[in-house]
Amino acid sequence: MSQFSTTKIPELRTKRLVLRGPEPQDYPDFKATFSSYRSRFMGGPLNQYEAWMLYAAEIGHWEIRGYGMWMIHDAETDETYGMAGGWKPAGWPEAEIAWIIWPRVAGRGIALEAADCVRRYFYNERGWETAVSYLDPKNLDSIRLAERLGCKKDHEAPSVDGNDVVYRHPTPAQCRSSQIADAIAQEIGFYQNPNFKPEGWALD
Amino acid sequence: MTTAPTITTARLTLRAFEIADFPVFSAFYASDRSKYCGGPADPESSWRMLACEIGHWQLRGYGRWAVTLSDTGELIGNVGLWNPEGWPEPEIGWDIYEGHEGKGYATEAAIAARTYAYDVLGWDTVVSLIMPPNEHSKNVARKMGAKFERMFNHVRFGEEEIWRHLSAADLMDGGMEAYA
Repeated sequence: MSQFSTTKIPELRTKRLVLRGPEPQDYPDFKATFSSYRSRFMGGPLNQYEAWMLYAAEIGHWEIRGYGMWMIHDAETDETYGMAGGWKPAGWPEAEIAWIIWPRVAGRGIALEAADCVRRYFYNERGWETAVSYLDPKNLDSIRLAERLGCKKDHEAPSVDGNDVVYRHPTPAQCRSSQIADAIAQEIGFYQNPNFKPEGWALD
Repeated sequence: MTTAPTITTARLTLRAFEIADFPVFSAFYASDRSKYCGGPADPESSWRMLACEIGHWQLRGYGRWAVTLSDTGELIGNVGLWNPEGWPEPEIGWDIYEGHEGKGYATEAAIAARTYAYDVLGWDTVVSLIMPPNEHSKNVARKMGAKFERMFNHVRFGEEEIWRHLSAADLMDGGMEAYA
């Protein structure tokens, strides 16, 4: 059989996480979340056919756009925690920074750490000048995460279909020259500290 | 990760899908002709379908090819091995676009896909799922020597007929000459 290495998906690392391209063996974890109520803001819950087709499309997106969604793994155990990355299927007005965290690992700052990592990659390595996140207005966990990432609601920008709100990420310059990066690093640092116990509402 | 290798037949070149195929691919999925293969679909859904065609190869190690006319390079269909989750077993699927039907292209490409399944992937058997009213597709299956086996109820597409192709062993015994 002819085998070609397709778009090389870079591996990204943070203190707690390794981000790699979606692989066939990770599919059951993806399916578990996308067939659950957790995925209600990402077009789910999906039946097994739809979930598999979406997973295949996530991989095809890499080939078509040259970027896409990474699978988030624990840096030590390799267990999967969710996905984060860039997403721009047909119909998306702009490239989006997107994330979904498996429900059982919510509240550990994993989405924050992964989203911060992919945004720095797109800004620093891929030359992105801006990015948005299209969020369901009822998805308070993701809205809170967008705000912790320094995003602001962009009332002027077109949304995907009118049922979502556009959150505009700070520009690369704003990330460099403001306290946003320090604040994110500090919060991630808290979560990375094994003695840290978040209080109140669980945050992704 | 795997992408589709290029295969040539007498008249056709089967190659990997690429984003440049999107206008023709999505025009097919926008047309009524796609009603037996998941359509009609809007451009947003077709884009994801195209991404799926690529991702399928990487998840399964096989998938469908973009079928082109070797003489002109024109894209005329999607043919190959298809097995998303929820499929009863791997199938050979064929969609030929408007204006290219009736020339035996589906059969020619489907035989190439069957040969790939048996000779390269080492499968023993393969089926095709066909919507009950799709007589054109049943004719292709019959020309290849396939036989109706049973009904299958798919979570999204409903009742489909499963047609069983000649097995690898059948073809070794000389069936190839009889049906190719």
